[in-house]
Amino acid sequence: MSTSRTDAPAARSRRAGLVLGQVALLAGVLALCEALVRGNVVSSLYLPAPTDVLDEVVLLLSGENGFYGNLAVTLQEFLTGYLLAVAAGILFGLFLALVPLAEAFFRPFLAALMAVPKVTVIPLLTLWFGLGLGHKVIIVFLFCFFPIVYNTIAGVKQTSADHLKVARSFRASRLQVVTKVVLPSAVPTIFAALRVEAAAALVGAIFGEMVASKAGLGNGLTEATSLYDTPRAFAFIILITLVSVTSVTVIDQLEKRVFLKWRPRQSRLR
Amino acid sequence: MSGQGFTVTGVSKTYEGSGLVQALDGIDLTVGEGEFVVLLGRSGCGKSTLLEIMAGLQTPTSGTVRLGDREITAPDERIGVVFQDPSLYPWRTVGRNVELGLELAGVPKARRRAVAQEHLELVGLPDVGNKYPRQLSGGMRQRVGIARALATRPDVLLMDEPFGAVDHLTRLQLQRDLLRLQAEDTRTVVFVTHDVAEAIVLADRIVLLTPGPGRIARTWDVSRPRPRTLGDPELTVLREEIYAHLEDRERQPR
Repeated sequence: MSTSRTDAPAARSRRAGLVLGQVALLAGVLALCEALVRGNVVSSLYLPAPTDVLDEVVLLLSGENGFYGNLAVTLQEFLTGYLLAVAAGILFGLFLALVPLAEAFFRPFLAALMAVPKVTVIPLLTLWFGLGLGHKVIIVFLFCFFPIVYNTIAGVKQTSADHLKVARSFRASRLQVVTKVVLPSAVPTIFAALRVEAAAALVGAIFGEMVASKAGLGNGLTEATSLYDTPRAFAFIILITLVSVTSVTVIDQLEKRVFLKWRPRQSRLR
Repeated sequence: MSGQGFTVTGVSKTYEGSGLVQALDGIDLTVGEGEFVVLLGRSGCGKSTLLEIMAGLQTPTSGTVRLGDREITAPDERIGVVFQDPSLYPWRTVGRNVELGLELAGVPKARRRAVAQEHLELVGLPDVGNKYPRQLSGGMRQRVGIARALATRPDVLLMDEPFGAVDHLTRLQLQRDLLRLQAEDTRTVVFVTHDVAEAIVLADRIVLLTPGPGRIARTWDVSRPRPRTLGDPELTVLREEIYAHLEDRERQPR
């Protein structure tokens, strides 16, 4: 809101200069890489020429190497695990926040489980659940579940006492208080977790695939690397990044257009 | 409609904090049907506590509150409450805020939408239904708070320093609006304020509460016709009397 309205010509030209500089830097680095590889200063085994990477991206996007199959596998793992974690995390968080005794009981266990770096259990999960979908879903779930629980609890606790008083004055039932006051109050805090955890969920899925899998983008990346196909490895990195950015953007849009459209935009920049 | 007055009998309230704090001590008060009673006093005199007990939002440590022939032990559909900070839900549009009480009572959507719009018009805000509370000024938000309380058509309005958070000129306007609403459709009103002038402009009866613990110090009947101006000699005398009483109380050791 602030930038678009205060757009004086001076500010606009400064921003144009900034963008120009950024593009120049990017182009310079890419050109340098290209020159280093083409001039055989650096072996293309270590660093691919940007043009080769671009070719590889185009190739993958045209369906080479079963790219869309792999993409579908990764998205399925990611979405299943993530949505399960979102549903379970919000419900469990709500339960803990509304039942103080339950929170007191479960808090140490939650804290302990949350403290475990989740990557350390991936090999064990492979042993228990194999190489397939279930394995990745569980990894993704574990990556996202705990922060969502914690943020739900924190969000519920932000419910304003005055807002609760209003609902009580209208004789709201306990369920109505939860659905009409408590949950809406917690939405901003829950969404903060959903945004961060969407990226974490993809990391979980990709990492699980890199450790043990038969398909998926992470599998393709590992395969390319082990074959010293660096252009393809870079192409995978770029495409996986795009998937990650897309998923976070979807969450952002959902937040802005549906759940938090009542919020002034500034308050979310922090 | 008869019998929708309040009878407060021997109400005391003690809070357990670090030690016991007695907020109210032996309050006896009757509010007749259609009467506009102002609870006046400085902060900490227990006037908001008394109002919340009358609203069924707090329970007294001892004593009873009756509205008509029923004892108030929980929020009651005959009572509408207007809070100091209107506490509109920021995630709801203004219209849906006004609908809140009807929605919680299970009134169908089309019906409550119409009633909400009608009450927004009543408080002079016909065009803000689709806005969000943050887009309104403080005075407009407070009007919405009043519309929300009125939308469930209560017999009684309990108002807790409703104009305390707006600027002086807005406050005068809101007072005039409230009197207009009362003139159109008289309800029983209990109104909490620490503003002596506000009390004089609005009240049929002023009840002065003094703190430590909260007790009723004195009451005044105000019979001058409305609209009142503070330049009215009779009201000037009353104002001086109230101030004198407040200061007199201050000098007494407690």
